[in-house]
Amino acid sequence: MGLLLLSYIGSFLVGGHALRGYGLPSGSEFVVLGFALGPFALGLVERSTLSMFEPVADVALGWLALVVGLGFGFSKEGRVGPARLALGVGLSLGVGAVVGIAVWVASGIFASELGARERTVLALGVGAACGETTRHAVAWVVERYRARGQLASLIDDLADSDDLGPLLIMGVAFALAPAAEGGLSIPVYVWTAITIGIGVALGLIAVVLLGSDFRLIQSWGVLLGTSLLTIGTTARFGLSPLLATFVMGVTIAGGSQHRGEIVAMVAPTERPVLLPVLLLAGAHLRPLEAPYLLPLACVALAARVLAKVGAGLVVRRVCPAAGATTATLGLGMLSCGAVAMSMGLGFSLRFPGKVGDAVLLCAAVATVFGEFVGPVSLRSLLRKAGEIAAVSEVPPRPSRWSASPDGARISEVSPIPAADVLATPLPGGVSLPGTTPLPAPQKLPTIPRPEDGSP
Amino acid sequence: MSGGGDTRPKGVRQHLTHALVLLLLFALLYLGTRGSQDVHGSASTIAAAGFLLLAGTLASELVEPLGLPHLSGYILAGVLAGPHVLHLVDHHTVNALSGVNALALALIALAGGAELKLEVVRKVLKSIAIHMLFQTVMVFVGLTAIFYAARNLIPFVAALPVAAAAGVAVLWGVLAVSRSPSATLGILAQTRASGPLAMHTLAFVMTSDIVVITMAACSISAVRPLIEPGSSISLHELEVLGHELLGSVAIGTTLGLGLAAYLRVVGRQLILVFVALGFGATEMLRYLRFDALLVFMTAGFVVMNLSRQGEKLLHAVQDAASLVFVLFFATAGAHLDLPLLRDLWPAALLLGVSRAVITWVAGRISSRLAGDPPLIQRWASAGLVSQAGLSIGLGLVMERAFPTLGSGFRALVVACVAFNEVLGPILFKLALDRAGETAVEASRGTRGSASATADEVPASPR
Repeated sequence: MGLLLLSYIGSFLVGGHALRGYGLPSGSEFVVLGFALGPFALGLVERSTLSMFEPVADVALGWLALVVGLGFGFSKEGRVGPARLALGVGLSLGVGAVVGIAVWVASGIFASELGARERTVLALGVGAACGETTRHAVAWVVERYRARGQLASLIDDLADSDDLGPLLIMGVAFALAPAAEGGLSIPVYVWTAITIGIGVALGLIAVVLLGSDFRLIQSWGVLLGTSLLTIGTTARFGLSPLLATFVMGVTIAGGSQHRGEIVAMVAPTERPVLLPVLLLAGAHLRPLEAPYLLPLACVALAARVLAKVGAGLVVRRVCPAAGATTATLGLGMLSCGAVAMSMGLGFSLRFPGKVGDAVLLCAAVATVFGEFVGPVSLRSLLRKAGEIAAVSEVPPRPSRWSASPDGARISEVSPIPAADVLATPLPGGVSLPGTTPLPAPQKLPTIPRPEDGSP
Repeated sequence: MSGGGDTRPKGVRQHLTHALVLLLLFALLYLGTRGSQDVHGSASTIAAAGFLLLAGTLASELVEPLGLPHLSGYILAGVLAGPHVLHLVDHHTVNALSGVNALALALIALAGGAELKLEVVRKVLKSIAIHMLFQTVMVFVGLTAIFYAARNLIPFVAALPVAAAAGVAVLWGVLAVSRSPSATLGILAQTRASGPLAMHTLAFVMTSDIVVITMAACSISAVRPLIEPGSSISLHELEVLGHELLGSVAIGTTLGLGLAAYLRVVGRQLILVFVALGFGATEMLRYLRFDALLVFMTAGFVVMNLSRQGEKLLHAVQDAASLVFVLFFATAGAHLDLPLLRDLWPAALLLGVSRAVITWVAGRISSRLAGDPPLIQRWASAGLVSQAGLSIGLGLVMERAFPTLGSGFRALVVACVAFNEVLGPILFKLALDRAGETAVEASRGTRGSASATADEVPASPR
């Protein structure tokens, strides 16, 4: 019931009674809350209770990966270009590789009792969890400070297209220890290919079943059914459900002519699912379970910071839009959150014990640290680049009941009044996709705030 | 899913595609179950839930051209995948999936209560009362007598003394009176039927639930001295029953008012509210020994008739239920014990057919006496054949009350319910189709009259 309540609160966070742009972008406050309530700290939630939630957590993680897959390679402004897509994937793989190598070396020093395979899985897991930049943090800064410009767009695109790398690494790590090998010796790359194959196959089935006519109720059934089957089938083999459902999401996004409707349908579920996942992830944290956990987390964090700074330098070099930025560009990409914590929890459930604990802890440390450094650095970068207007230093309070031209409520989720969003042209004079600019003199109706003293 | 009630005819190509996808899904689950070691883990349950959701939907689309209800498709998919045929979903997984029953029953009861609109019920009150009296008495007496007469066909009763056999026959008579609210609502959700027959059947089935629960408690007390010589009639069961019924109505009223207030003030995220009610509240009500079905039915009734939020609740419930029903009935199909049905089929067939015949005769007599319109006279009893979870639940209660009956009693209950579970929905859909109350039939009729009158205004299917 507690998780349901949290999910309920999450639905309101995304629905508009609270605002995007407020709260913490990575949701790390829920990780901390889970940690506080969990068996390690206050003990209000016992370990046996947590184990009861494992099936729910498996499904929630798979569903989140599906949502991420549906949005992969798409930013708010449309499809991310192939160059930026490749750069995003390459950078996440690179950062993941650097962190993984560092952890592999460090585990040889701090955790010598781990076997070779455990060390490899651990290194891959931490590399996967520390590879991404969360799109939520970038969107948070952009929305809160009304950032518009080439650099904001570039970082947004990179954040929207860097989930593939970490999930691939995760798929490989899971494939190193499949649950169902039987008498056959199947190579890792074949297991990874099977994981991807399951995602593609069920994604195609979903595309076929969604068909030419899109009906909401039927679509829910198809998406839920295929997702559950994907999650369950991969989990039976000990493979990565997250990679499979992510691939399934990408397949649906690429193959269905109803991608827009599907994304509109599932996007509101992300927050209600994410918050309980973050809480559960926090509750699973056991930082003192083994003496090497904290040193490993520190090494992973240091490696991530260095790798991200390096990634920033690469971006500066190859992207003209970032050419004028400072060398601290990488710090602006340090935020991680939903995907990292999901992967951490996924490892914790799949490899309970030393490896799972270490990966989850590293993900949590990276998330909390990124929370302090990432958004601040990004805001500073964007301000220096002239992409944050000085007037918007203090974000305006939203009009809660603004209406779209067709009468629908649209601005509940945004701190920016709907009229401003619709009236403000993007660089280059293009309008926001999916919106119709209003005629200039038209003002959208708003309900005055009670504290204004209005009747 | 099917609750969306899409009534457009589908082409051969689409059916072939669905059949192909269904085969692929079976193949995928087959590979999954045969290739991995996770026999009883949560992964199996998750995969089975996804599979039954998809396979049930596809099977329902495939049986549609045969004139069968979607429910039959869901059940068929479950039977095929279940532990007795292909063994893609094992017993442990089926039991784990039964957790969804709580949610499904909550939605069924909420929808059932919300469908009972006071002004409509008032119109058919006299008819319902007469039907209730005759159906209950005739089915109870008839099935008690037939069960007693046929006791030599039933292994576990044949060895009992005469008095004990008579006691078991009385229990069986009570079980035969029970109907299936879930099957009724499932068919109505799929066909989007609306009209006198749909309303009459719904009102009857939902109210008969209360009658059956009361009868079950009374009969358990009454037959105890027959089945267990030496024991006496105890009024304790009746006291517990009174507490349960009155308390359930009181809690349901409170819950209904709360729901109405929520719908008015907030009105969002109803699916989460339903999940909380289905799992959390059901568990709490069970712990407090209240009847969850009656609580939710009363709540739905209150929201519909004492507030303006009824339609909102009904739509939200129907949307959620269309998904939950697939899993609910597919799991019920997987639960069907086919080997048992094979062993007990003579008795099950006799009891099932005689129940259907007596129901039909009682329907005709009571319709005449109530002065029902010809449509009700002809088809009123078709929706009363289905049996499902409620009957099995009552069977379990009786088995617990009389452990000496052993598992044979439960086996016979399951076998007979299986028979009625398959036959009942088909009969009810047939009746709704013939009565012209399903969306397809209504739109056909409208199209026919529209083409005849050259009326160009498109008609709503309802």
